[in-house]
Amino acid sequence: MNDVDDQLREVLPRMRRFAVSLTRDHSSADDLVQSSLEKALSAWDSKRPDGDLRAWLFSILYRQFLDAHRRSRRYSRMLELFTGGKEEHYEPSVERTVVAQTTLQAFERLNTEQRALLLWVTVEGLTYNQVAEILDVPVGTVMSRLSRARQALRLLSEGEITTPALRILK
Amino acid sequence: MITLPPSERDLHAYVDGLLNDADQLTMETWLAANPDMARQVLAWQLDAQNLRAGLSGELHRPMNPELDPAYIRQRLRRNRTRHLAMAAVLLIAVSVGGLSGWQAREMTLANNVLPMADAVQAYRMFAVNDNMASDWNTAKPNNVQVWLDKNFAQANRLPDLESAGFKPVSGRLTSTEQGAAAMVVYKDAQGRTLSFYIRPPGANNHLLSPGTRRDGELQADYWSGGGYNYAVVGPADDPAAQAARQALKQPI
Repeated sequence: MNDVDDQLREVLPRMRRFAVSLTRDHSSADDLVQSSLEKALSAWDSKRPDGDLRAWLFSILYRQFLDAHRRSRRYSRMLELFTGGKEEHYEPSVERTVVAQTTLQAFERLNTEQRALLLWVTVEGLTYNQVAEILDVPVGTVMSRLSRARQALRLLSEGEITTPALRILK
Repeated sequence: MITLPPSERDLHAYVDGLLNDADQLTMETWLAANPDMARQVLAWQLDAQNLRAGLSGELHRPMNPELDPAYIRQRLRRNRTRHLAMAAVLLIAVSVGGLSGWQAREMTLANNVLPMADAVQAYRMFAVNDNMASDWNTAKPNNVQVWLDKNFAQANRLPDLESAGFKPVSGRLTSTEQGAAAMVVYKDAQGRTLSFYIRPPGANNHLLSPGTRRDGELQADYWSGGGYNYAVVGPADDPAAQAARQALKQPI
């Protein structure tokens, strides 16, 4: 059991990073990691695959996030209905490593699946097959989605460079 | 082996460093001759590098003790215990509800239905009516006990009220909610009437502890035995009837 915990502790920082890239907020990211770990520990004996522990945990976390996101979207739509307000748009935070700032800002404007894809492939180095398994789609689909994500990231980064964005300074 | 011009998949595999050495070399040679694609691939590589650099800081955040697996395990156990406790409380609540409901039902039944009310009713309808059609009377060849035994196996013996001057004169079968019932009418020389009433206890096996109750001018003495309920009904304030009731108290 301690062995299991040690394995989990090793992957934990990566889970937290992935969670932040999905939620864009540290405290809800940790909530997400917590619920994912609960799920993983409860399913450990029955579901844990023999392969890469990291990929399995990422897939649990991703699914948890999508579920929570769906729930909160429903909630905010309801809120909007009652208050007439609009869903708040995400503004990227400024605490960034300078060199990667543009890319990061562009990254944060990608959709959820594109963020997950790029993080899995380019940052975590998962194989295309592992990603295909997580998303439950054929490898060819992973490739075309990855290609679109990279192009989107490129376009958004270039946009950031060429048109100085008007920003509300807080 | 990759083919040239490279597929999209191979280009991405190159960016992600997933090509083998030979394929990587082939790709680099091809890119050198295709500067447009080379620029594209380089941009992807730079983006990937920037992402890795930009997100590397996230790996070094201070540990959150609430995310430690040991803590999560403990939390899971606590939740499980809480769920069990909640289930237990629910079970108790449901049981208490069920039991008190049942008790309320019993009380309602007991309150609504006076013991052996049908015996009193039968007395009012038939016993005081001399023209009552009877299933047994003194003219029949069998005595009243034999007649009763035919219909109620293993029932208590009929009370012997001779000492008080009462003799069985007629018997009648009726049907009640609880099943077939029989009433034997006793009379004394002055024409005073008492009835002995017997029927099954009914679906709830509602057996009676011996008791007496007054219903208007009548008095009913009731008890259970041998799988049946019994009542003796007669005028409440009549001394001869009271004497007969004394005779009832003797072992039957």
